[in-house]
Amino acid sequence: MLIEARDLSYTYMPGTPFQVDALKKVNMSIARGEFVGVIGETGSGKSTLVQHFNGLLKPTGGELLVEGKNIWEGNTNLRTLRSRVALLFQYPEHQLFEETVFKDVAFGPRNLGMSEAELEQRVRFGLASMGLDFDTYRERSPFHLSGGEKRRVAMAGIMAMRPEVVVLDEPTAGMDPAGRLKFMEQVSRLHREENLTVILVTHNMEEIARLAEKLFVFYRGELVMQGLPAEVFKSVDLIRETGLEIPVLSDLLQQLLRKGKDIRTDLFTVPEVAEEILRFSREEWK
Amino acid sequence: MSGMRSITLGHYLPGTSILHRLDPRAKLLGLLVLIAALFLIKTFTGFILFGIFFVIAFLSSRLPWRYFMRGLRPVLYIVLFTLILHFLFTKGGQVFWRFGMLTIEENGVYLGSFMTLRLILLVITTLLVTLTTSPIAFADGIEFLLRPLRIFRVPGHEIAMMMTIALRFIPTLMEESDKIRKAQMARGADFESGNIFRRARNLVPLLVPLFVSAFRRADDLAVAMESRCYRGGENRTKMRQQQVTTLDYLGVFTTCGIAAVIVLTGV
Repeated sequence: MLIEARDLSYTYMPGTPFQVDALKKVNMSIARGEFVGVIGETGSGKSTLVQHFNGLLKPTGGELLVEGKNIWEGNTNLRTLRSRVALLFQYPEHQLFEETVFKDVAFGPRNLGMSEAELEQRVRFGLASMGLDFDTYRERSPFHLSGGEKRRVAMAGIMAMRPEVVVLDEPTAGMDPAGRLKFMEQVSRLHREENLTVILVTHNMEEIARLAEKLFVFYRGELVMQGLPAEVFKSVDLIRETGLEIPVLSDLLQQLLRKGKDIRTDLFTVPEVAEEILRFSREEWK
Repeated sequence: MSGMRSITLGHYLPGTSILHRLDPRAKLLGLLVLIAALFLIKTFTGFILFGIFFVIAFLSSRLPWRYFMRGLRPVLYIVLFTLILHFLFTKGGQVFWRFGMLTIEENGVYLGSFMTLRLILLVITTLLVTLTTSPIAFADGIEFLLRPLRIFRVPGHEIAMMMTIALRFIPTLMEESDKIRKAQMARGADFESGNIFRRARNLVPLLVPLFVSAFRRADDLAVAMESRCYRGGENRTKMRQQQVTTLDYLGVFTTCGIAAVIVLTGV
């Protein structure tokens, strides 16, 4: 297992009247090369959870293991860990600060102590991984880019560290549908081609159903469900109870199933579902 | 949020005690009187009486003791600094301790403990008021108390509004800086090691985004206020009308009375 949580708990501001139990005894594991989704309503503990994966938060109970080693025991180098398990926060464009795109993307690798020659390699890789042209962008100010470009530059800064795992905390929040699609396509490509492990935190059920191989559902700090998207979205009532909604397409297929139709419910894209409905209609007419 | 843990100075704690219910204007007046009294007191007896009054007020506020003490932590260094300076450099009276050039003498010990006590009482009294008064009520109170200064063209409403906004944005900016700090740490930034110049330089990745976001927020706020036709204090009515009750009069008069007694016995 690449990342494993054992009875992981986290309490904000313990011992004050503002104390909040954000995570309660969470047990989960993520394997190398997986694309997993973490879903849950606002305040369910998702963001708190993922900040444990690269040691930004220290658990107040339980332990977090990376490759079987508790990162808070022994002499784990947190900086190295953070370059291997990279985290992209919500609205990552707010973290841009340098004068040029090149310098900003190079910030992460530079902190890892790389030479200038290596830096350029890394920046090229980072920008390319997000579909940005090196020569067009290198000298531009990150503050003069469009919203979508800024976000891709921020992601390029993460990718330039060549992480094994990326944790994306609502990476497409506030983006337009086209930008959203483009961004997730890049991520999905990196997952396939570079064998990147992706942990995606999101509210967007259509997106996660289409992309993730495994889902973790959080509700009020507890992990209430995990499994394949098709399995998870089968429990319609439980999902709604946790304040989430199942994808429209799954809903349609399941309603058909409930009406006694012989139909698959594990499809999440429009062409697939259309195909399935056509197939089933043809059989029905026979 | 974790960055907020260390700052509790003036962090309002909602409640229903007498101190919470007192009108902010009454509390502010009371606080002014008490601060004045603290600077008039000349003897330790005065401080002891003051301390007793404080303890009664504190108990009536029903604030958790440990939470309260946390608010004191940031000023501890100033207090210690004062104490050490007086111990070492105020001379006169019997010599208690000698080490080469350094001596600790009677007057130093006396003045040091006196100043320290005054400082601590000053801070805890103020803390008691800020912890039991919501920032908005506090600013309203200040606006009211600044009213007489209008003849000198002191813009009371504007000052209060600026205070409210500033106070309102402290937690927001703290949260923001915590987020940016973590985002940069996720990119391998180091805010904890190195000498002072290095550390200051390392703060750039934190400060630039923080300023950018503060300006963005200020801009948004200005637009939001303007689109609701905000134009300063002129003819502006209040949603929370402050009602002065018997309790408030009682509070102010008891405080004044007690302060007078303390000062008279303590001078």
